[in-house]
Amino acid sequence: MKLRILTLGAFLFLSFATTLAAREKTSPAAPVYAAPSVILIRNATILTASHGTIDKGDILIKDGKISAVGGTLKAPGDALVIDATGQFVTPGIIDCHSHIAVDGSVNEASVSVSSMVNIADVLNSDDISIYRDLAGGVTTANILHGSANSIGGQTVVIKLRWGQPAARLPFEGALPGIKFALGENPKRSNLRAISGSDRYPATRMGVEETIRSAFTEARDYKKAWDDFNKRAAAGEKNLLPPRRDLKLDPLVEVLEGKRLVHAHCYREDEILMLLRVAKEFGFHIQTLQHVLEGYKVADEIAAAGTGASTFSDWWAYKVEAYDAIPYNAALMTKRGVVVSINSDDAAEATHLNQEAAKSIAYGGLTRDEALKLVTLNPAIQLGIEKRVGSIDVGKDADLVIYNHDPLSAFAVVEKTLIDGLVYFDRAKDIAGRAALEKEKKELQEKAAKAREQEKEKEKKPQDKKEEKKAEEKKPEGKKPEEKPKPPQGDQLEGGAK
Amino acid sequence: MSGNSVLRRARPIVLLAAAWGLLAPLATRGQGGEPRTFAIRGAKVFPVSSAPIENATIVVSKGLITAVGANVTIPPDAWMIDGKGLLVYPGLFDAFTDVGLTSPSAPPADKGEKQRAIARGPEDRPETTPWRKAEDEVNATDPRVESWRSAGFTTVVAVPKGGMFPGQAAILDLGEEHAGELVVKSPVALPVSLQASGGFRSYPGSLMGAIAYVRQVWLDTNWGTQASALYQKDPRGMERPKYTRSDAAIAEALAKHAVVLLPGNESLQIRRTLRLAQEWKLNAVLYGGQMAYEVAPEIAAAKTPVLVNLKWPEASKDADPEDTPSLRELRFRDRAPATPAALDKAGVKFAFYSDGISAPKDLLPGVKKAMDAGLSGDAALRALTLSPAEIFGVSQVLGSIEGGKIANLVVADGDLFDKKTKVKMVFVDGKKYEVRELLRPSEPPKGSLTGKWQLKFTSPQGEEEATADLTMEPDGTLTGMVSSEHGTGTVFSGWVSGDKFSFTINVQIEGNAGDVLFTGTLEGNSMKGTIQAMGYTLPFTATKPDASAGLQEGGAE
Amino acid sequence: MSVFAALFGGVGGYAQSAGDYAITHAKIFTLAGPPLEDGTVVIHGGKIAAVGAALEISAGVQVIDAKGLQVYPGLFDAVTQMGLREVGSVPATVDTTEVGSFNADLLAATAVLPSSAHLPVTRAAGITQVIAAPASGGLDSDGAGSQIAGQASALHMAGWTVDEMLLRRSAAMVVIWPSVETHSFDFSTFSVKEKPFTEAKKEYDKQVDQLAAYFEQARHYAQVLQAASGASFARDVKLDALAPVIRGELPLLVFADTAREIRDSAEFCEKQKVKMILAGGTEAWKMKDLLRSREIPVILRPTLGAPPEDDSPYDRMMTQPEELRAAGVKVVFASFDNSFSRRLGQQAANAVAHGLPHDEALKGVTLYPAQIFGLDTQLGTVETGKTANLIVTNGDPLDVTTEVRYLFIKGQLTSTDNKQKALYEKYLNRPKPVR
Repeated sequence: MKLRILTLGAFLFLSFATTLAAREKTSPAAPVYAAPSVILIRNATILTASHGTIDKGDILIKDGKISAVGGTLKAPGDALVIDATGQFVTPGIIDCHSHIAVDGSVNEASVSVSSMVNIADVLNSDDISIYRDLAGGVTTANILHGSANSIGGQTVVIKLRWGQPAARLPFEGALPGIKFALGENPKRSNLRAISGSDRYPATRMGVEETIRSAFTEARDYKKAWDDFNKRAAAGEKNLLPPRRDLKLDPLVEVLEGKRLVHAHCYREDEILMLLRVAKEFGFHIQTLQHVLEGYKVADEIAAAGTGASTFSDWWAYKVEAYDAIPYNAALMTKRGVVVSINSDDAAEATHLNQEAAKSIAYGGLTRDEALKLVTLNPAIQLGIEKRVGSIDVGKDADLVIYNHDPLSAFAVVEKTLIDGLVYFDRAKDIAGRAALEKEKKELQEKAAKAREQEKEKEKKPQDKKEEKKAEEKKPEGKKPEEKPKPPQGDQLEGGAK
Repeated sequence: MSGNSVLRRARPIVLLAAAWGLLAPLATRGQGGEPRTFAIRGAKVFPVSSAPIENATIVVSKGLITAVGANVTIPPDAWMIDGKGLLVYPGLFDAFTDVGLTSPSAPPADKGEKQRAIARGPEDRPETTPWRKAEDEVNATDPRVESWRSAGFTTVVAVPKGGMFPGQAAILDLGEEHAGELVVKSPVALPVSLQASGGFRSYPGSLMGAIAYVRQVWLDTNWGTQASALYQKDPRGMERPKYTRSDAAIAEALAKHAVVLLPGNESLQIRRTLRLAQEWKLNAVLYGGQMAYEVAPEIAAAKTPVLVNLKWPEASKDADPEDTPSLRELRFRDRAPATPAALDKAGVKFAFYSDGISAPKDLLPGVKKAMDAGLSGDAALRALTLSPAEIFGVSQVLGSIEGGKIANLVVADGDLFDKKTKVKMVFVDGKKYEVRELLRPSEPPKGSLTGKWQLKFTSPQGEEEATADLTMEPDGTLTGMVSSEHGTGTVFSGWVSGDKFSFTINVQIEGNAGDVLFTGTLEGNSMKGTIQAMGYTLPFTATKPDASAGLQEGGAE
Repeated sequence: MSVFAALFGGVGGYAQSAGDYAITHAKIFTLAGPPLEDGTVVIHGGKIAAVGAALEISAGVQVIDAKGLQVYPGLFDAVTQMGLREVGSVPATVDTTEVGSFNADLLAATAVLPSSAHLPVTRAAGITQVIAAPASGGLDSDGAGSQIAGQASALHMAGWTVDEMLLRRSAAMVVIWPSVETHSFDFSTFSVKEKPFTEAKKEYDKQVDQLAAYFEQARHYAQVLQAASGASFARDVKLDALAPVIRGELPLLVFADTAREIRDSAEFCEKQKVKMILAGGTEAWKMKDLLRSREIPVILRPTLGAPPEDDSPYDRMMTQPEELRAAGVKVVFASFDNSFSRRLGQQAANAVAHGLPHDEALKGVTLYPAQIFGLDTQLGTVETGKTANLIVTNGDPLDVTTEVRYLFIKGQLTSTDNKQKALYEKYLNRPKPVR
């Protein structure tokens, strides 16, 4: 006799359960200051990233842009003045490899080519990591799809405008991107035991083939559309356009130079493989990501005009990371590659200034070169250097104010500005904590009280009488060693044991 | 009756007779041979489309409201109902539910993972069955039909379940006719879900994958329509467009003006859905909506109606006391019931639905909570009546008490949202259903029926076993499920009083649905009593193998 | 591929030269008093023979002119899997976590790979000794269900064989305190599974009870062991291993993070009368008074890690060290890793940036770890008589721009060459490719 037990909750159909327990915003709503149109930052040590360090100078911000840098500047009476005496100002940090602010999985891992998915569809403005990275000085981040696929999903550059809705996060005018991945992750070397999957590809050979195959298909698809467009322009009637394929659309954009390729890779051979395939199909690899063996083929990378975005000192977590060296950024820089240092991790992104500084000790970069690794260089790599990446007149007022030389582990961010708005203020954050704790307590008490009232209402008057009797009976017959039990309790538990 | 062969022949008749004759406190029933004309005289009537009328008369005839007002001519053949002290509302709408539909058979346990087809891309159309129609899956004997109706809900938007495009929804009136007669309009809506369950094995396995998939489906559907139109005009020389069943079904539903139901509960999701609906140029209705208090003006600007889920977020019953929920979650739980008022204020059309609520007695209290948080009585009532009718395009015939509309009415002895109010009778398509008081003695329970029970009884077929997974509320109400080789039934009426219990389930026994009643006494961890079904009365015993399970919910504590 | 070269013999080599040394004209941070400007350290026979301002240096001593440089005790990483894991994703190279719940007799030193590439790489950053602790970190430890994971070993970061590396074979007994698992990650569906608290708490209580019962068993066994001298009875290697713990000679290194875990484990150790060192301590600030009153030192998880909850202040991990120190709790830093061990100084520096006095931070990576493991007679300060594990740097060893110029382990000048340096030099000299 089969016994089948079904539980009622099995058919929770179409109800969008709150799985987003990890994504909530509780810090004070930003921006902290209502937008003043003029801000004067006074008397700071300014690390411009583009033209050296100014020892004691001012920065004037007007309508979200840097309007003057250096010297003693004048500001109108109603300007917000930030006294930065003894403090240091740098351009906002640009994290060239981030997975924050994504609702749901960062991977569409089920298929070999997942270019139809788009990170921009699932930006999550409620992710607390946005705020925490702001507190670490990050103002712009390249939000990437994961590395589960040889060709992954479409990517987007955002500014960390904490408190704004998701639609206002993307960096206006920044070209969209797409993620490629080579090596152990897309071929699932480290997942096979768990997933038991047999998804293609399982080797580096297959990884290359997947890319070739997809671009071959994209080429034909592009041709079909070009043909259609020509015929339609020539006035032909009753034409059926080709069926739009969301997977191939972004690949065509890559072929047309309208979408930037960011390729996760590790080993020297796969780096060269990708550069070769790209050249063959006539498209450009904008950045190599992680590229931990980039130092072995730095000249080739430089010759291809491809940027390299790497870690400071991660290594040995995978076989392909075993030859990683902390001198990677410095060595590639010396060989003419535009190099950035990234986080790939919400926590790592809170101290990228410190990670950049490591290249001073590991490889002898100058202070300016080190600072560029997390400011001007990633801006160049993302094609946004006209707007951000250095403290220059005309650029966006994306700035970080530190209380100590930022190329040091002792520096703490005091304020972070984006578009001339203060999105993070350490003093205000600390001052606001008590109020948040209080609100939390009050809400919990309110809810607990409501629950108690519900329970009271549910009870029938008879039950209440019984309870009263129980209360009165309690002191009687209570042995000193025993725990007191209401008489009914005994009756219930007697049988059940 | 004697002799097996006689029994087998007589069983269907017996079954029907027994089903009707059971003592179980069935809440409402239509009576055979009833009059088709009624007049309720002297009640307070809430038309919703106009101001309430004191001391009014409503005339119902042949399924329709023929007249309503203070001075109305009552036809001579009308059955008179004294409306003194009674309040009459339009029948209530549950705007998104599967009440009235056959529950899909659960997939065999554990085989689901490996055997489920693996989709290698959007072309495999995973979890997409838009050709399924609610109208084809109506189950008039779903016991929830009755319990929803007794709570005042005469109409539901019945939505098929399962997958990203589960099927097409229909509007059902919760009467007691044959399945087909319950359908008022079909299709009315095309529900869409963005819940990707493929993990890393099957497409889509992520939220962005689900969105990309749905996007591709709209593109393909439009392209398919365009292609087949061209092909119809002149097929020669044109490659035959492949027929995709799902795309054709979607195109057909949209051609019939079905609205598209898109999910969005938190403000992030709501904003995303509004954006996607605009991109996809859909006639969209948002469902979920509980954080709409943050974005009501944006919803209004998009002119998108909202179906609000009445299961308000609350603390989980069994959470770690040292684990405080986040401030964001606490704020959500605190403010969610204020959403309907915010929507009303912003001018957004909205309705309520019951997804996640299994007991109809929790539906109106959910609305009451919204009223406590600022929703006016008028707006609340409209959201349960005329608004859903308008959203789903049936406001010509449903949603208000006006001459010419379908006679769906709720008659109560007090304000509908007052906890003490009792629904006295319900009219569905002009048929009257009395709501009888649940007959049950009410002593506090002397034991706990909560837990998993193993039942043993002897039927004409021999020794049989069954399992009952029951939950007993502190006041003695019983809910749960009973499974045996005959099938599984939900307990739709159950109570414990003192050491006596009674519960009724409805199961399919050899093709016929029938009620099975269990009554008896409880002794600690064992039960004994009788099963009544199909005219049989069989003794049974039951034990609870897991002794510890029953200790938590004591009775009078 | 260089993997194999590194695993068997090491690229970049390992060279130590024995002898007598004098480090002169250095600024010496003894950590046993104010720093000595223009000081000298004399090393002889593996130990610090003399520390002072103007010392006489005998002939035959190799002099290292450290003008402009600084001398510190070598850094001590108090929780690592050094030598127990080479490449995290390759199980064949991973020996951190054994199967089973009660493995008191396992010893980390048994599995340490002396030619691990992690050793030269890490010591080049100034870490001269570590505790290698089983089941203390890495993907392979998660959800392992281990409770008594084995004995942690204290190791010098240099030696031809593990024996030469041993600082203390058995330094502490690692206990991974159970946790209440209301959320668990299910790999087969790649989703988070929820469990009701009552159920999860029941399982937790059961595991704690089992641990207590096992300790009772060990106590009884230890008594029999002492009493029954000569009499034969069935020995149990695992219970044998717990005897030093029961006798109070070997501390328990308890891994606990939530307030409940810290509270319950402290109570357990109090009841069992065993010495406790807390490792992890993510919510230690909630239990600071308890930790102070029981004198339980805390080895904190990296300050650069993410705060535990969404409502946690963004700087929770970095302010906690000072919060604990101000409350009278001894704070020690550790990497809980191997490849990130060289970030030890950086972790401490971030605590300084958020309020911890620099002196305390420095001691938190030198003297305090030595003290809590009872090794401070040998290490932790630059004082005569102690083992000469020293670093000579061009700056503050806690900051990220500092380089280690000279490295002494067991009084031997140790090369800072390592696999990574070698690869750097090799490719620095790669000729431009022919086009």
